[in-house]
Amino acid sequence: MQIIGTRGTTIGGTRRPRLRALVAVAVAVASVALGLPASAPRMVASAARNGTIRGRVELRRVLAPMERRPSVADLGTPIGRDVPDLLRSVVYLGSAPRGAFETSDGGHAVMDQRNETFVPHVLAITTGTTVDFPNSDKFYHNVFSLSKIQSFDLGRYAAGHSRQVRFDRPGIVRVFCEIHSHMNAYILVFSHPFFALTDAEGRYRIENVPPGTYDVIAWNEGTPSETKSSTVSDGGTAELDFTIR
Amino acid sequence: MKVWGTAAARLVWVVWACTATIARAQTLPSEPIALAGGRVTVGGDISAGFGSEDVGFFDYSDYSNSALRLLRIDVSAAVKAGPHFTVLAEVRTENLGKVRPYALFLRIRPWMARDFDIQVGRVPPTFGAFPRRTYANDNPLIGYPLAYQYLTTLRPDALPATADELLRKRSLGWEVGYSIGDSTREAGVPLVTAFRWDTGVQAHTTIGMVSLTGAVTTGTVSNPLFNDDNDGHQYVTRAELRPVSGLVVGTSFARGPFVSVAAARGALGGETDANPFTQTAWGGDVEYSRGYYVLRAETIVSAWRLPAPAVPPAQRAIEGDLTAFATSIEGRYKLMPGLYAAARYDNLTFGDITGATLGTLPWDAPVARIEVGAGYSLQRNLLLKASFQHNTRDGGVLQRTSNLAAAQIVFWF
Repeated sequence: MQIIGTRGTTIGGTRRPRLRALVAVAVAVASVALGLPASAPRMVASAARNGTIRGRVELRRVLAPMERRPSVADLGTPIGRDVPDLLRSVVYLGSAPRGAFETSDGGHAVMDQRNETFVPHVLAITTGTTVDFPNSDKFYHNVFSLSKIQSFDLGRYAAGHSRQVRFDRPGIVRVFCEIHSHMNAYILVFSHPFFALTDAEGRYRIENVPPGTYDVIAWNEGTPSETKSSTVSDGGTAELDFTIR
Repeated sequence: MKVWGTAAARLVWVVWACTATIARAQTLPSEPIALAGGRVTVGGDISAGFGSEDVGFFDYSDYSNSALRLLRIDVSAAVKAGPHFTVLAEVRTENLGKVRPYALFLRIRPWMARDFDIQVGRVPPTFGAFPRRTYANDNPLIGYPLAYQYLTTLRPDALPATADELLRKRSLGWEVGYSIGDSTREAGVPLVTAFRWDTGVQAHTTIGMVSLTGAVTTGTVSNPLFNDDNDGHQYVTRAELRPVSGLVVGTSFARGPFVSVAAARGALGGETDANPFTQTAWGGDVEYSRGYYVLRAETIVSAWRLPAPAVPPAQRAIEGDLTAFATSIEGRYKLMPGLYAAARYDNLTFGDITGATLGTLPWDAPVARIEVGAGYSLQRNLLLKASFQHNTRDGGVLQRTSNLAAAQIVFWF
């Protein structure tokens, strides 16, 4: 699978400071994807009650939305657009309990195209999920991705129409519009259900986690946090905060 | 300016550029650089192409470069100076030659609630559909439509004295000289140039499905100018209709003095006013896109009126307007994510004139071109293109048929 950086570039050897964290994330997510038993805590007996991991993700950096390219060739001012919400992070278990994969039933999710913005900007789904991409603008959009785990191109379609893509492989998919180069979004595809999006204050809550010790990672706009370890007790709640710089 | 050496050197350079670009693509910007809280944005377009040697000069453009063998670097910037004003600029260099200001203008939006803008300076072309998508990323092929690139034998600063003199120059638009005006041999003009922008004032509004643009500029569509050479102004308008999603129908009209004062006076003497010697152009275009395909068609008719100096009894003057008619049909189809195929058919014909010794012929040699190609995106903003052209020319003294192949790498942010 491919882990993609903040600006959509594949992380290579030139970005040393983040390399270790990225390798950790890649190994963790790959472990989940492949269901490696070495790092996968076993689900305890059915009598055990599941618990919760919750906390907050603090963003210590200034995030700016992708700007339009200078509209030098345009005959007038481009129409206004919405600004994507870049403050939402995704927190997920780097190693899932054994058996977690069997519960994934896909379902549907929606990523709208509204005022030249993908809404939501970040979508976290499980494998097998089908994502609908309705066009709510009065003009064409053309959703596409060249991500290695899931490349697709939905072509041009008008307002009121929708296309869909089913995501069967875990990883991070960057989504763009071919017509409006500033439109971009992320879809994080997990092969287990133990992840959560943060709210407007950065708070998250991963529920129904079987007791055990897990690696937990927070992710925001292509940048992962350091991997942290969290132990969920029988029916208990573990607190875990993250900082992403 | 020609800074490239031998063909081998050019090939080595392009291969190096492609390799370096691909290798560094992981660290190059993938979006515009934003400064000052987004008030300043900087973008760039870099394309490097290598193609067959164009001995028939089918693909040469304004600055004596072949469109198939072009390293072009564009840097553009937008500076927002409050809600009503934006300064936009673009500089460009071709084949590492002189850095030229391609665009520099102030965009004024007087009323924020109204879709109405005024642009002042070196402004984007009003005429036609293609000139605003000349960037390599917007052009599915490597060549340009003939109407916007092919150099005719007309020059604003040098004039033929007789019809025969003009007819003898057929096909030599890449470097042509005449007996009146500037005696140096220079490139002629295309019907509408896609490589230079004009200077003036432009107004644009959109009302529902209709967009209207009007401009008063210094040059003409075939010869945009920064410094005026004939004390005249071109008036150019464009109307665009978007009745349904994916369909754009446009029409354009332009008229302005084409011939320079020096050339007009060289032909007619005295204090001749150059304003009657105009270029008048009309264009019609349509674009339809849906799903995985885009279809475009564009037609341009142009008429130039040149001064007709007195000629000896044995010669014939150029009578009436010199007309040209260009049609272009283009299509692109996406075969799979990141891969598309494209094709364009171009036809450029010229009106007849009658010379004393050469008889009646089109005043320049008609040209036709078929170009087919494909593009593959290595990543979102890194594109590889390859194309093949079959060019034919009906008359003239240069090669009449030319098959040209080219490859191009495009990077933008």
